[in-house]
Amino acid sequence: MMAPRKRSLVQEGVLGILLIATLAIAAWLDGPDGAFISPATQLELSTHIFDLAILALPMTLIIITGGIDLSVGSTMALSAVTLGMLYEAGTPIWIAGFVAIIVGTLAGAINGIFVARVGVHPLIVTLASMALYRGLAEGISLARPISGFPDGLQRLGGGTFAGVPISGMIFAAAAIGCMLLTARTVAGRWIYGIGDNERAASYAGIPIARTKLWLYSLSGTAAGVAALIAVGRRNTAKADIGSGIELEVITAVVLGGTSIFGGRGGILGTILGVALIHEVREFVSWHWQDDKLILIVIGVILIGSVLLNNLASRSRV
Amino acid sequence: MTRTIANRYPDAASGGDPAASITLTMPLQPANPGQPLHRRHWLLTALLCITVLGVSVVNPAFVTVQNFRDLLIQCAPIAIVACGMTFVIIVGEIDVSVGSLMGLLAALMGILASPAHLGLAVPWVVVITLAAGAGIGLLNGLLITIGRVPSIIATLGMLTILRGITEMLMGGEWITDLPAGLRTLGTGAIAGIPISILTAAVITAVCIACARRTHLGLSSYAVGDNATAASLARISTTRIKLTAFAILGLLTGIAALVSVPQQSVIESGIGVGFELIVITAVVVGGTSIRGGVGAITGTLLAALLLGGIRTALVFLKLGETATYWERAIQGAFILAAVLADHWTGVKAWLIGRRGRTGAVAP
Repeated sequence: MMAPRKRSLVQEGVLGILLIATLAIAAWLDGPDGAFISPATQLELSTHIFDLAILALPMTLIIITGGIDLSVGSTMALSAVTLGMLYEAGTPIWIAGFVAIIVGTLAGAINGIFVARVGVHPLIVTLASMALYRGLAEGISLARPISGFPDGLQRLGGGTFAGVPISGMIFAAAAIGCMLLTARTVAGRWIYGIGDNERAASYAGIPIARTKLWLYSLSGTAAGVAALIAVGRRNTAKADIGSGIELEVITAVVLGGTSIFGGRGGILGTILGVALIHEVREFVSWHWQDDKLILIVIGVILIGSVLLNNLASRSRV
Repeated sequence: MTRTIANRYPDAASGGDPAASITLTMPLQPANPGQPLHRRHWLLTALLCITVLGVSVVNPAFVTVQNFRDLLIQCAPIAIVACGMTFVIIVGEIDVSVGSLMGLLAALMGILASPAHLGLAVPWVVVITLAAGAGIGLLNGLLITIGRVPSIIATLGMLTILRGITEMLMGGEWITDLPAGLRTLGTGAIAGIPISILTAAVITAVCIACARRTHLGLSSYAVGDNATAASLARISTTRIKLTAFAILGLLTGIAALVSVPQQSVIESGIGVGFELIVITAVVVGGTSIRGGVGAITGTLLAALLLGGIRTALVFLKLGETATYWERAIQGAFILAAVLADHWTGVKAWLIGRRGRTGAVAP
């Protein structure tokens, strides 16, 4: 069908350089003892990011199709509350976790039905379901925290296996899966085709609705998994979990070079975008203990990267 | 309905002839015999009446002038900002940073006015707050037009930046010593009508007139409908978009001035999530997120309805737990409104579930 597009890795290259620069500045400010830059600290801190990173993978695919999913944080809360309520009621943690992921997937599928089958703009659908799912999570749990989860779940959130964080392994597996999907499968071509020109894709016989439905469901599944990780790390399930995370996820994806208009982008860029945001955030809070500065820095990086990209492309034309 | 308007943008396309005039056909829905937007207005009005009547029947204590006044006061800032947001969405852009801007302007207002900080006179506070609002709106517009950053990205970035600046300004402190003059803006009344309600009424009236009768309003529809066609018709899309964003910033400033001093405390969390309420009001009011279609009337009705539902939940006396369900009910309501809006799509899905390959491309 479509000729595979020659992808330039300019954005990925720029991000790689930025990432190295951030780490270099961090190492320099860190002083000779290198407490922040040491592998042990980095491994320890990395567990803070994997829930966000897992959400960023399906978000990349959705944005490549020209869509968006603002409800991931709320879906996370719904899954987390499901997990907490079921566990509290005496359900084994395995079953509770499984049901939580199913609930997340269903929540994503409902978004998908609205977007793909009914034909509502994804921004509107997920804006509404963002309020709905968060509200359901608050209503079901009456906004009270549930804690006291077993060791297994806590290890999923913060534990390591053979020195590698378990949540990191889940992310790596998911990332490799998504990379293979976009680079090596027909469905991956469909995703780019839909984002590039939906009408042309429809004339080419691409099952647009089915592809989108799967992607939004996948986003829900990822939110369920991210909920398990986040609950495990904090040992608390509460309805405010993941609030505002959708904006960070979208920031990471766009920073990674995926076009918000669809058709362009990739998983590698997203991974670098997530890593850059993570390193900047952890370093600023490590070095200056200042949360406000992080907000400003991330916002400036987001706007600045797109702005510089535009200026560069204008001078080239 | 057509209007002939003098060419205010004598640029290259018109050969620089300022005398040349252009004719704009009002692209508002009344030009369309189907009038789906008018139907939407009736639907919203009906829903509003049902909500108010329903609550009045269940709880007669609701029917007091004070309660209606409180309801309108709650809706006022939403309506004011939503008017500006309607223009921004009509020109085909979006601004998700208004909540953070509201927070920043609240902090700025507090620091300027509070005797413990700068202690400026109230007129100066008003002028600086409005200028800051319009200035930041203009900055958003510049990033989007000149910088060619997609509006969702630019304003998403501004959302976090402005919130960060707000928290730096406040430094975790609360400002509690607002001068009486400033408090009057929030709590005062002219001829028995609270200032915030009066302001909201005047602004919506001006915006309705502006959208239907002025070059700016008509051009906004043209730009949102088809930017290329609009620029061929000698409309400067850059100027229209810049103006829309600056107006939104200015209106956010006005909303901050009349709503923030209602409370005696200013803290850094003001305005969190406000952008979602505003965008919801605009979208439920029938403005298309793709641009080019919409009306201020619908936005105003939707803002009233959103406020009405929130008040209704309080007065229906559903018990202690009801407050936790508030957001779920709001979300379900928006989803229902969207479903009603896309009824043909819903029917197509329900009827033709089998054998379909995909939704029709937009």
